[in-house]
Amino acid sequence: MFVAMKPHAAEAEFEAVVERIRTLGLTPHPITGTERRVVAVIGDTSGVDPEDFAGMPGVAEAMRVSQPFKLVSREVREEDTLLDVGGAMIGGPAICVMAGPCSVESREQILEAARAVKRAGATFLRGGAYKPRTSPYDFQGLREEGLKLLALAREETGLKVVTEVMNTETVPMVAAYADVLQVGARNMQNYSLLERLGEVDKPVLLKRGLSGTIKEWLMAAEYIVAKGNPRVALCERGIRTFETMTRNTLDINAVPVLKSLTHLPVIVDPSHGIGIRKHVPAIARAAVAAGADGLIVEVHPRPEKALSDGHQSLTPAEFEGLMRQVRVIAAAIERPLAG
Amino acid sequence: MLVVMKPNATPEQIAAVEERIRSLGLAPHAIPGAQRVAIGITGNRGALDPALFSEMAGVADAIRVSQPFKLVSREVKDEDTVLDVGGVKLGGKALCVIAGPCAVESKAQILEAAHAVKKSGARMLRGGAFKPRTSPYEFQGLGEEGLKLLALAREETGLKVVTEVLDPEDLAPCAEYADVLQVGARNMQNFALLKRLGGVKKPVLLKRGPAATLREWLMAAEYVVAHGNYQVALCERGIRTFETMTRNTLDLNAVPVLKALTHLPVVVDPSHGIGLRRHVPAMARAGVAAGADGLIVEVHPCPEKALSDGQQSLSFEEFDGLMAQVRVIAGAVGRPA
Repeated sequence: MFVAMKPHAAEAEFEAVVERIRTLGLTPHPITGTERRVVAVIGDTSGVDPEDFAGMPGVAEAMRVSQPFKLVSREVREEDTLLDVGGAMIGGPAICVMAGPCSVESREQILEAARAVKRAGATFLRGGAYKPRTSPYDFQGLREEGLKLLALAREETGLKVVTEVMNTETVPMVAAYADVLQVGARNMQNYSLLERLGEVDKPVLLKRGLSGTIKEWLMAAEYIVAKGNPRVALCERGIRTFETMTRNTLDINAVPVLKSLTHLPVIVDPSHGIGIRKHVPAIARAAVAAGADGLIVEVHPRPEKALSDGHQSLTPAEFEGLMRQVRVIAAAIERPLAG
Repeated sequence: MLVVMKPNATPEQIAAVEERIRSLGLAPHAIPGAQRVAIGITGNRGALDPALFSEMAGVADAIRVSQPFKLVSREVKDEDTVLDVGGVKLGGKALCVIAGPCAVESKAQILEAAHAVKKSGARMLRGGAFKPRTSPYEFQGLGEEGLKLLALAREETGLKVVTEVLDPEDLAPCAEYADVLQVGARNMQNFALLKRLGGVKKPVLLKRGPAATLREWLMAAEYVVAHGNYQVALCERGIRTFETMTRNTLDLNAVPVLKALTHLPVVVDPSHGIGLRRHVPAMARAGVAAGADGLIVEVHPCPEKALSDGQQSLSFEEFDGLMAQVRVIAGAVGRPA
């Protein structure tokens, strides 16, 4: 259930609603929009009559949310959520591009990649320091050393840093260095991690699980928001299907469907989505044409020598080509590129 | 095996190669290109020795085709295949939009739809006369009467007609009235039908099966081509996945992958691909941005009263809006629409 306040409701009226929710043994969750304030009611509301709230002073309406996800739903908040990451935006009219290597491998590699993607127009640098690799024998990432190198690259280029956090223990460490905390596909339903991220004052990029339905994915986002962190963006990165010619099947259907169901920004990862270097630009164009708010693209100074995901990483020159094509599509749908 | 002739090879030299292939009990498929002729060979069980052909007069090279699909492969024919449907091109630079109702329901309905989609810029009219419905109790189409109404709509509007052929039995009437014969998703591996379509002089629009891999789909196209009909286009219409919020999962990855693997035109069906009316335009834009050669879109004069697929059919006004958006994206990827 949520209670929407009138645009000019007094602070005392708002407080009275919050207090009433608490006395019912439920949790109030205020959401401030540009037009009005809404209070989401979290807990078992089956015994509560929305009419009890609708009659209170300053209340515009009170209603049940039909979707199982509440706080992330457009029913609760109509305006798009914009994440302001130290001045770099995720969401809103401008399309943001995050780019960089799959893994941070060395100081030279990450600095070279950062300079190249910045020159091509990216506003965020991606790079894994903790890597969830299928095989325990593969490169697992540089860990804290990798985080330090990412911070160094940020200092040099001004790019904001997006990096994956794999478990609850490393949340404080990763949060100390990163600007955006990424939850990888394999962790989409790691509920302890999601709850922990709900307590962090950093935006979260939540990737879709390999077999996560759109509803399950939104419920995962709801975990983070319900625990107190409203700054979440979703990232479609392809799902597991019977098709084996591509690494995953990028579900671009998810873009318009999500944009209508949720106010959270929607990012697309064409690199994992198709998994074949030469086809990444085509599918990046498609994602932007479908209405994605941003892209996250794997770029490596020398893909053939990458320690992970080389087959789907672009060279800096290829990435520049992708950016040119994406700019044209963005212009066609009247969206600027961020930065 | 593919025998590549020299650019200046004579017709006699080409005929000699074809004769050599036949004498081995195999089938030659001459594929004229802009630069030179290539001759595909089918019917061999194991690998052929290139030396059988490489020393013959006029032969530039004899190469093994690494893919299991041969005649539809880009290895065999580098240039894009462009289907010429009575002057309307499918494939090539211009984007081709096919639109119309799921099923032909009445004379008034199909004529109204045809005029509207033509006005918005479609080049071909879709409409089912023989319908593969999940339930045997649902509307199964008007049959031959539907075909006649499609022909009437063509006469009135000049739009070319795309319609589904369900069964080899219906092939003769469908081929008589239609300009393009559609093989529906459920029939992608109906090999009896595919073989029969190989003998027809009408282009074929082959939809992807709901659970078909790209390789299986290309092999299905190979059936039609291997049986003599080179005019085939592929249509991605979404696959079956675990996601239930959308009718299918439109696999747009297929577009760039197919464009690299095959010379056949690739069409995208955003209507079945997402199955939700309000999201069809976004997926149509995405299909074109990914590099599709065409779109096939369901449009109905009154979607809420449609006998089938109303939930994914656009009204005329919505289709007009889709075309405006698609034109902008087509322009951005350098294709006229």
